[in-house]
Amino acid sequence: MGRLLEQGKISSSQMSKMLFLVIVASTVISVPSLTGKYAQNDLWLSPILASLIGFLTVFIVFSLNRLYPQQTVIQYSPDIIGKVPGKIFGLLLLFFYLHITGLIVRNYAEFIMGNFLPQTPISIVIFTMIAVCVYGVKAGIETIGRTAQVFFFFFLFPLILMPFLLRDMHLDFVFPMFEHGLLPALKGAIIPQAYFSEMFLMSFLLPYVTDPEKGMRAGMLATLGVAVVLTGVNIFILLVFGRQSSDYLYPVMAAFRYISIADFIENLDSVVMTVWILGMYVKISVFYYATVLGTSQWLELSDYRPIVIPIGMLIAAISFWSMPNINAPVISFPFYSPLMQTICPLLLLGVAYLRKKGKRQSQAQTAAASGSVHSEKQEG
Amino acid sequence: MNRNARKWWRAHKQRVQQQAVPSHTPLHKELAENEQQLRALYDNCSDVVFRSFRIGGSTRALVVYIDGLTNTEELERNVLSVLMKTKMPKDSAIGKLLDNVVSVSQTNELATFEDCLESVANGFPTLLIDQQECALSFGLAKWEKRPVEEPMAEGVVRGPREGFTESIQVNMALIRRIIKTPALKMEQMQIGGYTKTKVVLAYIDGIVDMDLVTEARARLNRIDIDGVLESGYIEELIEDHPASPFPQILSTERPDVTCGNLLEGRIAIIVDGTPFVMIAPATLFSLLQSSEDYYQRSIVSSAIRWLRFLFTGISFLLPSLYVALITFHQEMVPTSLLISMAASREAVPFPALVEALLMEVTFEALREAGVRLPKQIGAAISIVGALVIGQASVQAGLVSAPMVIVVAITGIASFMIPHYIAGLAIRLLRIPMMFLAGSLGLLGIMLGIIVTVIHLSTIRSLGVPYLTPIGPMKFAEWKDTLVRAPWWMMNARPHLTGDYQKIRQGANQKPGPEKGGDPA
Repeated sequence: MGRLLEQGKISSSQMSKMLFLVIVASTVISVPSLTGKYAQNDLWLSPILASLIGFLTVFIVFSLNRLYPQQTVIQYSPDIIGKVPGKIFGLLLLFFYLHITGLIVRNYAEFIMGNFLPQTPISIVIFTMIAVCVYGVKAGIETIGRTAQVFFFFFLFPLILMPFLLRDMHLDFVFPMFEHGLLPALKGAIIPQAYFSEMFLMSFLLPYVTDPEKGMRAGMLATLGVAVVLTGVNIFILLVFGRQSSDYLYPVMAAFRYISIADFIENLDSVVMTVWILGMYVKISVFYYATVLGTSQWLELSDYRPIVIPIGMLIAAISFWSMPNINAPVISFPFYSPLMQTICPLLLLGVAYLRKKGKRQSQAQTAAASGSVHSEKQEG
Repeated sequence: MNRNARKWWRAHKQRVQQQAVPSHTPLHKELAENEQQLRALYDNCSDVVFRSFRIGGSTRALVVYIDGLTNTEELERNVLSVLMKTKMPKDSAIGKLLDNVVSVSQTNELATFEDCLESVANGFPTLLIDQQECALSFGLAKWEKRPVEEPMAEGVVRGPREGFTESIQVNMALIRRIIKTPALKMEQMQIGGYTKTKVVLAYIDGIVDMDLVTEARARLNRIDIDGVLESGYIEELIEDHPASPFPQILSTERPDVTCGNLLEGRIAIIVDGTPFVMIAPATLFSLLQSSEDYYQRSIVSSAIRWLRFLFTGISFLLPSLYVALITFHQEMVPTSLLISMAASREAVPFPALVEALLMEVTFEALREAGVRLPKQIGAAISIVGALVIGQASVQAGLVSAPMVIVVAITGIASFMIPHYIAGLAIRLLRIPMMFLAGSLGLLGIMLGIIVTVIHLSTIRSLGVPYLTPIGPMKFAEWKDTLVRAPWWMMNARPHLTGDYQKIRQGANQKPGPEKGGDPA
């Protein structure tokens, strides 16, 4: 067992809330329009199909963790595929996380600027968020877990407001179902599944969970929760906008703008935005934390805190340079993300199982061989 | 502190100890020797009285006491006059003298000079007798005390009206009068090189987690300070996060609050000379609870708790929300309201942030001045204050009327927090929140909230996370946090840390018609 860089401990329920917020925070705002582009009025099915990747990822991570408890993927990949290939894979994974964190921060900043602070320089929006996350990441995983728990309840609050939209909902927007078969819904699932494979972050959290045996249940619950929320949001957007869902960049915001209670409580999109910032903070800080922890484990440092700020600067730089604007097609992401977070770990798991099997066989053989040599002694 | 200073402090302390107390020097057999020593120690102390006399007209004796700390009438009646008339027993046992002659309930035998000095300093007259190697102290201390009065800062409508006083004996007695079990332990220690202040660590054995007591005791023993004038000194030296604005130890003036917390497995630290008793561990939500919550009907208390949470939020955020809305997000305000607000702001020359800061700072200054001012001038200040932050400033076009309303509501909201010190933390954080709102709007407010929540979730109070039971979540405790469940539902004690006695009362105590009358 490697030395634990992190002294803090979280509970499995904290972990599941962190993972829930990680995936929901970025998907809930934009996924209805992204899936609607392909799935048309079958977009409610896409998250359910996409969640299969999530369940698979949770299963892979949990099985790997059972083989190498108390270790993260950075620590056990050299054990599985050899020191040099393992280190190379670790480095690739770290670059992946660095890049993804930068993309998330950029997405966040674009959203804030597009909707609320159009004249604020993007660098201010990015730097303030990274500064807040530096504070959170330095405080450790315990603090991130607790903040996730607190923000979880706030995050669910806008769901209460959905019934006020009943007036604008049209049930007939759902029909005709499966006009072109299941293919559109499957196509629509391609983008959300990339987010579901972010469940792989569990690999960085599981070593610090006090009750890791419940890790599988916690991960599955988080995936299920995300699937339910996304399906619910997609249905609700579909019922409000129908086939136009994909015309909006942020359909959830647009839908909440429709709410008007007694001509006084209006413009509730700002409530959605404020709550969404809380979720984004949890998302960015969990990604950021995974990157920092993984890097310090890759470099075999004794403490991760000294590299928090340098990595924060890298994230800021990547968020500036990674894409020219929000509308630039991110074609690679739906394939890139599951490749690193689901397929590679699946291969790792396969190799680990084969090796373990081989080891057990060879052990059994040597045991049998040595047993036959020493059997007389032992008996005597 | 640099090394030289530390070295000097250590040497100085040794010197002081050598001068002040011939530590653990046993008393002499000769009275004259003892008297000379004591007179040398109490040189230039005009309040110390030395009274020489002879027991039964033969054996020489000396009483030492401090004028004003001792009940001299009792001393004359029960010690001096009796001893002068009696004969010193031949076998010279001081115990016999105690048993047969002196009619004082609390007596003590002292063997060293240090003990003598301590007993004199505590107001106990101390008797030294010739040819005896031990002295006697009589529990005849008496000095002027403030009577038990209603607490100044924690008033209630329903509930006991008693408050702690400055005397530790009275405070201990107030607690003991409520919790009568011998399991209520009160460990006494002395803190402060010069003040030698009595500090008592109270807990209920069998309910409290003993690790908590050990930790608190260790932290108290670690204190090395020359004087303790208020429990705040001790709070600052034993808390977990000195840099936080939030109090991690709750202080209260009320014996019933103290006892309620002792019964929930917390510890209380009582300090002589102050009516504030400290309770640890404290959480954010315990600072938002009032003792009256438990005396009123549970539905009403729950509603009041919600009102308090709401107004705590208002006290924290309202000025910054107003600034953010006016500066950045006008579209969020309903149109008719926006128009009237814009009309009232028309003449105001300042941006909303400056306007808000101006009013907030003025209000805080008035409030602080109100606490310090003599009572006779208080009324004048409140009139001036009402004019300054009310009518006149609006008429002069310095601030807008909605801003006055915002500041007034915020001021009222901060009085909703039952513990004054917790209110101070929120008052302090309001100012940076306003700057954030003025520069980044709602985004700034959210970032400020995130930073506050991160900070709150890093704090612990004696090992208990500050945001319990929300983060880490303990669902079973929500019934005494978000609402106040009726007593017949709260069968389990709140879980603080470690092992504890979980069940606090019998099950199934919900009253109802089926429980009345014959059990047939």
